[in-house]
Amino acid sequence: MTAEEIQRYSRQIMIPQMGEEGQEKLKRARVFIAGAGGLGSPVSIYLAAAGVGHLRLVDQDTVDLTNLNRQVVHWTADVGRRKVESAQEKLSRLNPHVTIETWSVTISEENASELVEGFDLIVDAMDNLPTRYLLNQTACARGIPFFHGAVNGFEGRAMTVIPGKTACLRCLYRGPVPESKFPVIGVTPAVIGCIQATEVIKYLAGIGDLLANRLLAYDGLNMKFTQFKVQRNPQCEHCAHL
Amino acid sequence: MAVKVNLHLTLRQYTNGQETIEVDGKTVGECLKNLVKKYPAMESSIFAKNGKLANVVEIYLNLQSAYPNELARPVKDGDEIHVTMMLAGG
Repeated sequence: MTAEEIQRYSRQIMIPQMGEEGQEKLKRARVFIAGAGGLGSPVSIYLAAAGVGHLRLVDQDTVDLTNLNRQVVHWTADVGRRKVESAQEKLSRLNPHVTIETWSVTISEENASELVEGFDLIVDAMDNLPTRYLLNQTACARGIPFFHGAVNGFEGRAMTVIPGKTACLRCLYRGPVPESKFPVIGVTPAVIGCIQATEVIKYLAGIGDLLANRLLAYDGLNMKFTQFKVQRNPQCEHCAHL
Repeated sequence: MAVKVNLHLTLRQYTNGQETIEVDGKTVGECLKNLVKKYPAMESSIFAKNGKLANVVEIYLNLQSAYPNELARPVKDGDEIHVTMMLAGG
């Protein structure tokens, strides 16, 4: 790290569990973020600010006026721009030491494995279940962690998957769920995205206890966090073989 | 046997906002059947037409996932069931 980087990160290097060693680990890390929307905004902002060295941000969408209540990496002047371009500009200005790589493509069965190749982990900041399951499957196949987060209205949830060791997203699968436009207020993905980013930082630095085999449910209306224990499913289509 | 059922936010519209309901039953399935007897409008939100749980529903028994075969799980006096909904938004 340069002297400027050490100064930039000095307040987190002061954290006993982190230190310069932890900061170096963040700098060497390559993180794949699926989605540059409500969850992807706080995840990418806080990982960039923390000095995670390489972020690959994937989103096929353009910024819409209705996104701006929650997708805080995009601003009014960005309406109509590709989300990944808008995010790249802000994140690079926030921390020029971080490599922000962007792909404006739809994540599909055909490209998912290739897109995540060479990355240490996947952050699930998607807005639909089929792509979440596809990314969960890709993470299991590649043996890299998967950081799940989802929101609706004032509520959200987060879970960290270590393939072969902990329950994965598919372990709880019962069947397809109809897609629908979901209501949401910006503070909810802010809370959940920050929990995901916290998990990523802890994993990369090798510190703390992860949300593994634990689903954390957040109810913002009643300001309650509930922790549910989950377990691996021996018949899971994605991780049973691991 | 009294079992406490903790309802997801979206289900509280059927209980006048009440978060927890006490029901009787020897299994999770019996408890949920007795719950929808009390609040029939809730049935289609919890159960699919074939009588199985709706795909979007998740059941936790004493804060532990009851998946799979949730409805057959035995319960005892004082147990707590959480009925929650899968989330997809981001």
